[in-house]
Amino acid sequence: MTRQHGQIGQPVAVAEGLSKTFGTVTAVDSVSFEVRPGRIVGLLGRNGAGKTTTLRMLLGLTAPSAGRATVFGHPYDELPHAAHRVGVSMDGIGALPGVSGRRDLTIWAKTLGLSSRRVDEVLERVGLGDRADRKIKGYSTGMRQRHALASALLADPELLVLDEPATGLDPDGIRWLRTFLRSLADEGRTVLISSHLLAEVEQTVDDVLIIQRSLRYSGTLAELTDNGAVRLEDRFFSLVGNGNESGVGAHA
Amino acid sequence: MWTGRAWWSMALIGVLMGALAGSGYVTEADKDIAKGATTIEGVTDQVVRSWFMMLLFSALLGAIFVSREYQSGAIGRSVLLSGGRGRLLTAKLLVGLAMGVVFGALTVALAAASPSVFLPQAQLEPAWTHETTLTLIGVFVVTTLGAPWGVLLGWIIRNQAATVATLLGLTLFVDEALLRLAPAVGKFTLTIAMSSVYRDGKPELLSVPAASLTIAAWLVAAGIAARALFHKRDVL
Repeated sequence: MTRQHGQIGQPVAVAEGLSKTFGTVTAVDSVSFEVRPGRIVGLLGRNGAGKTTTLRMLLGLTAPSAGRATVFGHPYDELPHAAHRVGVSMDGIGALPGVSGRRDLTIWAKTLGLSSRRVDEVLERVGLGDRADRKIKGYSTGMRQRHALASALLADPELLVLDEPATGLDPDGIRWLRTFLRSLADEGRTVLISSHLLAEVEQTVDDVLIIQRSLRYSGTLAELTDNGAVRLEDRFFSLVGNGNESGVGAHA
Repeated sequence: MWTGRAWWSMALIGVLMGALAGSGYVTEADKDIAKGATTIEGVTDQVVRSWFMMLLFSALLGAIFVSREYQSGAIGRSVLLSGGRGRLLTAKLLVGLAMGVVFGALTVALAAASPSVFLPQAQLEPAWTHETTLTLIGVFVVTTLGAPWGVLLGWIIRNQAATVATLLGLTLFVDEALLRLAPAVGKFTLTIAMSSVYRDGKPELLSVPAASLTIAAWLVAAGIAARALFHKRDVL
């Protein structure tokens, strides 16, 4: 399947001055970026850099202290058919307790008005077709990641927001994920993926957002790495430093 | 509707408690009748009334229905897929009400049958009166409303253990203690107002219309609080 976007060039997701404070702690500080259609975009940062909080604000799960986030031109809460246009796999969003993988997806599919055949399709696609009748609590970390990806794909969305999908995957799983993400982009989908696994991301993404509470870089991977002349890891640490934010500016 | 094992385990515990209370009351009934402390009609009413405790398990089921989604993180997906928080809250409340109706129907069936089951064990014949019917209706109403009450508390507290502890504490200790220590205040608590509806008969209780208004006020207040907090707080 190759998608035709009605608004070629229009950003799929936009963050404008997003900030989030928890008490006296600033988790995200005035982050602005755009996600272009049909791209795999890596949201990179250390643990605790604000990646997940930024994604949650984008999806309306967390209210920003300041700023605004839109998906397909609307705040997620106001986006028509949001659940069919945006697929989400996110840290903190669990499966229904005590059910099998197939049962969990079937319940969500019914919520979305989808057939059980679609459940079988996504299970096959993520490689869980033969293990879907096991209870999720017995799944390995890698299987949970695949199950979460299956959940995100259920409604055949245009945009996938994936929070640390490579975490817990073994080398085979990581290689599978890389191919999987590229196949999603080849179908015309946009993928926004957060990660702290720089070497892995370097082989997967088209565009890069680097945050360490504030935005440190937004642009193409090729531009950041001088078309591969410089390693992403080196550029990353030159941008985020040792965690001290002073003196490090954001690229437009 | 997905409630896992919570549905049948709550129902089972409630049924066991109701049966124990009903049969226990009948054990002493013949002596009380002989002393003139009650009548066969009163015993019949009391056996039916003893099923009021199903309201606690109905409330617990409602609370678990919501709070376990917070515990598992499934609430995040519910919010993302529901098309808005207000819509999700309404849907959960309606499901909670439906759960309450199912629990209430089960309770009514058992409560209606229990005089015929328990009284003959004490060589007594049940005497069903208009008062018994009103008591049965009251038991149904409070059991039905228990589930949405639990749902709303679950939304407000969002933690399964804390919600269950709050429900148990309010129902078993706080409301009852308030009634004893300060009856003028205690009669306006939710579970004590509910005891007016299932015709507990204590003289300090509210009338049924006043109790009904009090129950409605509690549910509306909890609904407003749940809605405001759900819209204001971060989901994850």
